[in-house]
This record gives sequence, C-alpha cells and structure tokens, in this order.
Amino acid sequence: MNNRTTTAASERVAPIGAMGGPSLRLPLTLIAAAIVFVAGAVAPSHFAGDFVLRVANEGLLLGMLALSVAFLMNQAGLVALGAASIYGGAGLLFAIAMSEWNLTPLAALCAAFLIIVVYATVLGALIVRTNPLAFMMLTLAAGEMISHAVMLEALRDYTGGADGLAVSFKGSIFGMEAADFANPARFWLVMWVAASLAGLALWSVGRSRLGAILRAVRENEERMRFSGFDTYLPRLIAYVLVNIVAAVAGLLHVLNAGFVSPESLGISVSTNALVAALMGGIAGSVGPILGGLIFSFAQDEFGARGLTQLLTGIAIVVFIVVFPRGVVGGLSGMAWLRTLSGRRERS
Amino acid sequence: MLKVENLSVSYGSVRALSDVDLEVLGDGILHGVIGPNGAGKSTLLDAVCGRRRPIAGTVRYRNEDITRRSVAWRRRQGMARSFQRTSIFQDLTVHEQLHLVAQHLGDDRLDDVIEVMDLTGYLHQKAGRIAYGVQRRVDVALALIGRPHLLLLDEPGAGLSAAETLHLFEHLRDLVRERKIAAVVVEHDVDAVFACCGKVTVLDLGRHLATGSPHEIRADHRVVAAYLGTAA
Repeated sequence: MNNRTTTAASERVAPIGAMGGPSLRLPLTLIAAAIVFVAGAVAPSHFAGDFVLRVANEGLLLGMLALSVAFLMNQAGLVALGAASIYGGAGLLFAIAMSEWNLTPLAALCAAFLIIVVYATVLGALIVRTNPLAFMMLTLAAGEMISHAVMLEALRDYTGGADGLAVSFKGSIFGMEAADFANPARFWLVMWVAASLAGLALWSVGRSRLGAILRAVRENEERMRFSGFDTYLPRLIAYVLVNIVAAVAGLLHVLNAGFVSPESLGISVSTNALVAALMGGIAGSVGPILGGLIFSFAQDEFGARGLTQLLTGIAIVVFIVVFPRGVVGGLSGMAWLRTLSGRRERS
Repeated sequence: MLKVENLSVSYGSVRALSDVDLEVLGDGILHGVIGPNGAGKSTLLDAVCGRRRPIAGTVRYRNEDITRRSVAWRRRQGMARSFQRTSIFQDLTVHEQLHLVAQHLGDDRLDDVIEVMDLTGYLHQKAGRIAYGVQRRVDVALALIGRPHLLLLDEPGAGLSAAETLHLFEHLRDLVRERKIAAVVVEHDVDAVFACCGKVTVLDLGRHLATGSPHEIRADHRVVAAYLGTAA
C-alpha cells in the first residue's frame, strides 16, 4: 500500500453498465440488431405460410413470457412460477371488460392492463421481500390461486369457467381490426415489434443503474444494505416491469386467438415459459425469445407424432445438458464466434 | 460519536452480550476491541451497525438514539462496516462495485479511496478473481466510500499474515487520523491492535472487562488472566 500510483483512477475505468469492451462493439451490435429487426419483420411473411406463422406467433408470445421470467432470474436471482396468471389474467380481464363492462376495445385493453399491473404490484410488494425459494413458492401459490378462482362456479358468468371466454370486438385497436389480429402475417409483424421492444426495454434496464443494483442485490444483499441501498424497491420495480411484459403478451395472445381459456392461466404455461427461457438462455433478451420459438416449433413437431410430453421431456434434458447456458449462451461461448465478435476474455 | 449503553444481545437462550458499555470519540484514533473467541466482539459490531437487534440497551450515534434504525439508514448517516468474512460482490469488477456504491452515496472522491486502498491495478478485474488480501482491501474500500464518520471493521486482518495485518493496521491508523473519524476495529492479532490502536476495549464472555490505552490494558491483571496470559 505504500507504492501508490498518482494517476487518477477514474481516467482509466469504464462507467458502470458499459462493462468495457472494444468501443466499436456497441455500434456494431446495434447495427446488426437493426438488420435482424428489419429482416425479421419482413422476411417471414413473404417466405412462410400461414401455419408456420401461426406457430411462430405462438413462439413469440411464449418468448415474451420467457423474457419476463428470464429477466427476473438473471437480474434478481428470482424464479417466478406464476407468470401465466399475469399472462392469462390480462387476457381474461380484457375479455370480461369487453363482454361485461361494455367498454370500447381500447378502453377494455387499458383497463385490463391497469388492473393486472396493480395486482402484480400488490403481489410483488408482499412477496419480493422473501428469500428466492419462498418467492418461487409464493408465485406458484398465487398463480394457482388465480387459475382455480377462475374456475369457480360462482364466477362462471364472468369468467366462463372451464369453457373460457370468446372475445370479439368491432372497431379497431391502434388501427387494427379483429381480422387483422387473427391474420397470421399481420400478427407476426405486431408480435415481432412487440417482442423486439420488450427485449430492447429489458436489455436497457439490465444495462442501466437499476440493472447493476439488481445484480449486486442478487449477489450480496447484505452488503448492499450495508452500502446504504434499499434492496426492496429495486426488486419490486423489476417484478412489476417483467409483469408488464407478461401482461402485454397476454393481451396480444387474446387479441390473436379471440378466445381466452383457463389453461392460459395454468402452471403449464408458466413452466413452458421457464423451460423456453432455459433453452434459449437467460443472460440476455435474444435467448428467451429464441427459446420460445424453439419450444413452440418443437411442440408442434412432437404433437404431430403424438408423443408431445415424452419428446418434450427428452428434448429439455438434452438441451439443458448440451447447452447449460441456453442456446445463445452456448453459441456466444464458442471460440470462433467470440473471435468474430471481437470479444476477449479480460484478465 | 458512538455511545453504547447497557447493550445486551441474545441468540435464543444464549446471552452473547450482557450490559456492555462502549464509548468511541471521533478523535482520529483507532479503537480496538479484543477478547477470546466467543467474547461477543463481532456481536457488538452487529448490534452497533443494526445487523442484530439488541434485547436491551441503547446505541447512540452522533447524539441520536439509533437502536431501532435500519442498516441502510445507518450507512447513509455515515456508519460503515466491513466484515469478518469478506463481503464483496464477486461477480462485479472492483471498479463496478466501488462506483455503484460511490454513486449511491454521492461520493465524488472515489479516486481517493481507490488510491488509499491501493486498488488501481485491480479495477478491471472481477473481485472473485483477485487475491484474498486484495479482496480484504476491497471490503474496507466499500466501507470507506461516502466519507463515513464511523468505521466498524470486523477482523480486517482475517486471513492475512501477521506482517500484512500490521501493515493494514498502520494504514488504517493513518487514514483515521488524517480524516479525523472514529473507527472500531475487532481483531485477534493483539500485537497489531496494541501497535496501532489508541484505545482498547476488552470483552470476555459477553461482558465488558476493561477499556484503556494499550499500556493500561497490558497492565490490567484481569485482562492478563482472561485473555493475554502471562507472556503478553
């Protein structure tokens, strides 16, 4: 400690969130992302048929849900098993608002969104204080509670019970009519934009100061408190943010399907999202969305063979063994790709 | 600066601290706390910084009763601590974690801390990959950010050699003196404590045994009998 340097340390360090790296890396990444975005928006509707686009749309919906699950896992170290209650809940509320409250489509959409976000905020306020295991179990309990409440006979007039609710609306939402949402090619464009924006938003949050605080809290909550940080509020904000993404996905789902079933609130949707996130990789925004697409196409293929559950189980095991950090994590770890992208291991 | 009165802490049915008093002045001297294993040294720091709630007694900091205040509030008021087991962010680089805390506490003199703790050469390295001795310095650096008024250091020399511990203590002594802050250091290495602390408190079995200058403590027959032994 005697041999102190006199050079100002801050002159040689990158700001938090930038995480170093060659100065050209970010612009190149943004250019590549822009090209992928434009190509992804235009190409599929020209080259793929309606059936493939339908499966792809389901994949992007699941990818958005997986994105919300992955962000919370990666940034806050919290595993949520109740994502479907927000996803399906938003759709169900929209259907109820349309059929029971006689709202315009846009008003119903806003009402459903606001109610589900308030619910997520209240639930988050109660559960984000707990340890990760308790958090996981509480999200599961809350999700199951909602999915069973929907099936109650007393609420059947509102929720449709096991039959679910059909949604039809006249007029348009943001210039799109019901037929446009049902059209696979047009809906693909909507989904592609929505998934990209959700990915970009969560990626930005991850690189922001909030992201840095979340990761530090995940790693050493006690030290964060001893550094003067409130560790509760950042986690609550993260929980609400990911549920906003899940709610948007749920609303898009019901607009596309024109129907909301009680299954969309169930544990299987939540676990599918978790599996999709793990398959794609939880470290960024691309992985979960890619995982959603892979999962969706795989389910379709397995379903055609009549062995959906068996083959899905085998595929999950193989994927997680071969790509423990997900497809994107596995690919980014390959030496030739690292060289191509100019990434270097810091000493 | 810090006044602890009749502080008692229990772990279930085990009384870890009983009616302990401690007064630390903000006069730029290191205040050492020594005692055998199980004496309650770390428990005392835990109770002072809010990590553990006492069952009786009060903690007054800058003339305010803070016994019920949260850890984060105490930190924002200038009470900082380091830990016996290094408590840093292993997956963040040294700079990322120091910068994060400095930004939060509004400390624009992070360079001073980096230089004082001689961390300039490690800024870009993940904290989990640097040597243990440097990790200890990162731990202390995290406590130094925000210009704290009171430093609570729990065995800063743990895992270091006797020479490294003495070196660290000399460094802390100079730092505390320069900044005219208060510092309480719990340490097993009595040589380092006697060499660098202006005042020493001895705990034994959760009770206050003696407080005085190193010279007075060495001469106290109760301390010799309970902790130092005849060779001291």
